[in-house]
Amino acid sequence: MKLIVRQGLDKVFTVLTGTAVVVLSLVLLVILGPMIVKGTSAVLFHGTVEFRRMQQALFNRGSQGQLAAEVAETKAARQKVYDLIDAFKQGIDTESLKDQAGRIHRQFGQELQDKGIQGEQYTALRSISRDIRTRLEQAFDSRDPNGIQQDLAYVLGFADDPRFRGTAAEGFFRIARQFQKAAGRVDVARRGQYATALAEVEGIVAELLGPRPGSPMPPLVRQQYGATRWEQAQAILHRFSFTEQWVEDQPGRPLIRREVRRREQFAGTDLEPLFDYVPGHLSEMLRPSLTIYWQFLIDDSVESHTFGGVGPELLGTLAITLLGMLFVVPLGVISAAYLVEQAGDNWAVRTIRMCINTLAGVPSIVFGLFGLAFFVLTLLPALGLEPKACVLAASLTLAVLTLPVMIRSSEEAIRAVPQTYKEGAFALGASPFRTFVTVTLPAALPGILTGVILSLSRIAGETAPVLFTGAVAMGRVPHSALEPTRTLSYGSYDMAVGDRIAMMFPHNQYGMVVTLVVLILALNGLAIVLRTRVFKRLKGH
Amino acid sequence: MTTHKDSFIALPAPAADRIYRPLALTPGEDLKGYILAKAGHAVLFAITCTSVLSVLLIFFFVIREAVPFVRDYSLAQFLTRSDWYPEAGAARFGALAVIVGSAYVTLAALVFAVPVGILAAVFLSDVVDFRVRAWVKPMIEILAAIPSVAYGFFAVRVLAPWMQTHWGFPTGTNALNSSIVLAVMAVPTIISVAEDSISALGPELREAAYSLGSTRMETTFKVVIPAAHSGIIAAVVLGMMRAIGETMVVWMASGNANQIPSPWWDLSQSIRTMTATVAGEMGETAKGSLHYGALFTVGVLLLIVTFTLNLVSEVLLARAKKALGKA
Repeated sequence: MKLIVRQGLDKVFTVLTGTAVVVLSLVLLVILGPMIVKGTSAVLFHGTVEFRRMQQALFNRGSQGQLAAEVAETKAARQKVYDLIDAFKQGIDTESLKDQAGRIHRQFGQELQDKGIQGEQYTALRSISRDIRTRLEQAFDSRDPNGIQQDLAYVLGFADDPRFRGTAAEGFFRIARQFQKAAGRVDVARRGQYATALAEVEGIVAELLGPRPGSPMPPLVRQQYGATRWEQAQAILHRFSFTEQWVEDQPGRPLIRREVRRREQFAGTDLEPLFDYVPGHLSEMLRPSLTIYWQFLIDDSVESHTFGGVGPELLGTLAITLLGMLFVVPLGVISAAYLVEQAGDNWAVRTIRMCINTLAGVPSIVFGLFGLAFFVLTLLPALGLEPKACVLAASLTLAVLTLPVMIRSSEEAIRAVPQTYKEGAFALGASPFRTFVTVTLPAALPGILTGVILSLSRIAGETAPVLFTGAVAMGRVPHSALEPTRTLSYGSYDMAVGDRIAMMFPHNQYGMVVTLVVLILALNGLAIVLRTRVFKRLKGH
Repeated sequence: MTTHKDSFIALPAPAADRIYRPLALTPGEDLKGYILAKAGHAVLFAITCTSVLSVLLIFFFVIREAVPFVRDYSLAQFLTRSDWYPEAGAARFGALAVIVGSAYVTLAALVFAVPVGILAAVFLSDVVDFRVRAWVKPMIEILAAIPSVAYGFFAVRVLAPWMQTHWGFPTGTNALNSSIVLAVMAVPTIISVAEDSISALGPELREAAYSLGSTRMETTFKVVIPAAHSGIIAAVVLGMMRAIGETMVVWMASGNANQIPSPWWDLSQSIRTMTATVAGEMGETAKGSLHYGALFTVGVLLLIVTFTLNLVSEVLLARAKKALGKA
């Protein structure tokens, strides 16, 4: 082969090895970057007045007076929206007009009786009233503009009749005139269409601003507040301004989805100004301001993570992790000390080492099975306790899982202590035990701490072993080690695939998993820094 | 050493009336010390045996729960059929499809992970100097430290929708998705073990190759990799163990469809693995039922596979060590 070809191939190879590392860094960036950005928005975001209202109502947080003042300020801006909707509705919402007509008819009859009008006069007036009601209903239901004008003209013909002056029947003429005005502007033939479109608009407005003042409170907490976050408000605004329609792009081809301006549905009506007003005055109606919601880390979640934070999950993870460390740290350090200081190279030690390696290779889900079969279904009943998944069983399972990590890193730390330290202690007459406790262990302690932190991070992130031994998706904060708990890891799983509602609140979804990832990366970062410093120091001697 | 000087000065002068202990111990003291030392040794040994005990308990309890199933249901049907209908009137437990599924995603993951892992290991040990390594190593550690549920989250919430819209797959949760993510998870293991064994070779072999006029690529392929092959294979085996035992990613991102992919090369199909089956169904079974036993039998299978792979890797690593000792 020619030299130049060999050199070329060599260059390509070198570049390839570098590419592998670059690809890995990119993968890390792609996985962590967007996740952390989205997760951070659970804590740092522009909160609206609805957010502050929710915080006040659900967590009793913030000044009540200040909030009331803020709500009052937004009220004026919001009223315009409701006014526009109401004005448009008069020509559209014929059902409520029909109800009104029926009510007026009954009220009028009642009035006649109260006045003591009887006999023929009563019957005549009642029949006119009934007539008016029928004609009105007919007008409300009609799609023919001429018919409507005729019906309304008939009704309004009685308007000057002295018999109706000052009675409830004047209501008939009021709604007839209103409707006459509204019907003149609205294309009556499209009234059904308008009604459907308007209901949609009203729904979106409720999502944006919360339920209309005076209307009954919806039972679901997430419907009791408008957009609590500015970016959420922007998304809703987009749905407000645009609607999706299935349109035929080319004849004979499948329909495609296309966004259409919603204002086109209401072109030329009283509602059209709304589509300028809402985008222009959104911040007046919602008053966004930069919010640091650090309480995300301590708040309980509300209604399947609609609002609130990951407090119980974080607490559960810490409880399981720390309890597990209580078991695994002494076991791990003593085992490592024995393996380094005492054990020779015989079959017993080789067996122990092989078992440690085996333990490290057991799949995490098998640890879950083992924890279920041994700790939950055998050990707990043997101790006279109820055989159910609980924090204790999960901690024990995870302690066994992380034992190899703990032993290996402690071993490394103890081995890294220079032989001269020990020889110094021996020369002063210290026993091996005394040497270990007073000389080796203190010198190895930072290294052991590194191992402890790595085990911590390993335990905190495991999901499969706690599936059957102690984690639940819902439930209260445990009061003892014998109750199951929510954990960040299982919560992340549950919100990623199990929980439909969580999809509507991606900031909480990502917030949960990012809390876990940040916790673990912080622990690992600490371990890396600690280790670098320890090795520098031990080398310095 | 300078620090110790002060302590010599600070030592109090020996008191005149103090009775000095003889340096030699009395026989009684000697025996006490001997017994204490032996007892201490025994206690330490016993504590160290916790790991052995754990392994034994794991094998015992997982196998014990599986025994009734193996006794009551045909093991041959379990291993050779792929009709898994645990809820049916006559429940069927043919696990072939999930066994194939596990092997399938694991091998596919290795196809991605092994080249990247070995190239990166060569990069770290042979191409760059210490300062770059000091930056790359923590990055690989972070990759290894990210919890599996976070990888699963990424797979199902980010990668799956992306695949569906950009590659036109019918479903985003499929074998390719989980293989890619499993590969990312297995790469750190492969890099760290392979790099250890490649750099353990020392400079002599490389220098000999360079002095004969080899380029770096030729040195790597003809000298370094053949010499370190035991360690590299061990790295692959350990990466394989990581992939086959992984639960959350495959449970979340493989689609959980109990089928053997056909045609076999079509990675865009949903599959199901052994780990995902256990994770997904264990919560719904009653202790002692046939279904419960079937899931434990899957667990035993996983245990046997990983145990065997572990033995293989240990033999390989021991061999690598031995070869180095001779060189």
